[in-house]
Amino acid sequence: MRWQLLALAAGLAGLGISIYLTVVHYSTVPLACPANAVINCEQVLSSPYGVIGGTAIPTSAAGIAWFAVSALVAAARLAGRESLARLQLVWSAIGLATVLLLVYLEIVQLGAVCLWCTAAHLLVLVIFLVALPGPQEARVRQ
Amino acid sequence: MSARPPRTRPMRKPVSRTPAWVAPVAVVAAIALLVVAFLVIRWYTTPVAPHPLPLDATEQVVSSITGLPATELDAVGTGSANNLIKRVSGASLTGPNGHPEVFYLGAEYCPYCAAERWPMIIALSRFGTFSGLKTTSSSSSDVYPNTPTFTFHGATYTSQYVDFVSVETTDRDRNPLESPTSAQQALANQYDTSGSIPFVDVGNRYAFSGAMYLPDVLSGMSWQAVADSLAQPSSPQAKAILGSANLITAAVCKLTADQPATVCSSSTIQSIEKTLG
Repeated sequence: MRWQLLALAAGLAGLGISIYLTVVHYSTVPLACPANAVINCEQVLSSPYGVIGGTAIPTSAAGIAWFAVSALVAAARLAGRESLARLQLVWSAIGLATVLLLVYLEIVQLGAVCLWCTAAHLLVLVIFLVALPGPQEARVRQ
Repeated sequence: MSARPPRTRPMRKPVSRTPAWVAPVAVVAAIALLVVAFLVIRWYTTPVAPHPLPLDATEQVVSSITGLPATELDAVGTGSANNLIKRVSGASLTGPNGHPEVFYLGAEYCPYCAAERWPMIIALSRFGTFSGLKTTSSSSSDVYPNTPTFTFHGATYTSQYVDFVSVETTDRDRNPLESPTSAQQALANQYDTSGSIPFVDVGNRYAFSGAMYLPDVLSGMSWQAVADSLAQPSSPQAKAILGSANLITAAVCKLTADQPATVCSSSTIQSIEKTLG
């Protein structure tokens, strides 16, 4: 139960980060992020990968949707809806796969890392780890 | 009374239990390995940056590109340059020495800035003298990687006609170098609404942002090779760089009331001036 509380907190934190990055994208508010040879949020977010498939929609908008659903699922499991365990696992696996793709693009294609994005990526990993079935749970499901 | 045989307790097959921490640790380890693999791929695929030229070789290249005969510049005209210069109307910009000011905002990592510095140096050298220019190249990890260029950081410019003020915000690795003043930033915000660099303000009379030609013209070339190519007016580099230099020269001539006459009275510059408005 307490692990779902962690997933809920991670979902809400990720939602906050995604909303912040989306607001920055659509406004002239400067992004709070240090810039050096490796860390450069501006370079990452203004790259072609900072938007979804050539549209004007920032990738962080997809983050809003993903974290919102993750937080809702974690809240439902906290409320006793254990039947959502499989959905949470599948949903977080999709999130983790997307994170791995984004990390590949940051490191290999852009050579720069966005701190805010990395924080969001770590929160996705936390949610995935919480969603992993424990040994007991795995046997019950078999 | 016979003794009852001892009751044998049914044997339970021991259940092997994987500790709860194994799966999360395995996932985290796998992700860490993947990140290391990405870093290795990046390291292998990043082109190696060329070493900047030593001082004497740099001076030779600078001397070569700033000593091009006016006839050659005239022969190229606007070449293949894209005229990005826009007329702007603001309070005239005066530099630290009381001359009309040409203001440049860029960064060493930026490939478009790398491309634009060549014509800027050639054009401004027709009105004055640069000293302390050093060779560098644009970022290895951006588009048009390692575009050969110079940096205005640490360079000085003297002229009796114009003042040149430059701000290179970062080095080629994006480490901070210089910051624009609030007035300089306000200029950029006013005339360069897209926020792209390089941004050049010619005395608040003309302004442009971006490069007048694509940096791929310089791809894979050394500084000396670029300088050599400028001696041939028909080369793609000469058409791009000298064409851009003539456009900038014409804008500066408008600023200096066509002084010096040896530069501004050429038919090529006069003809470009008419197109600038």
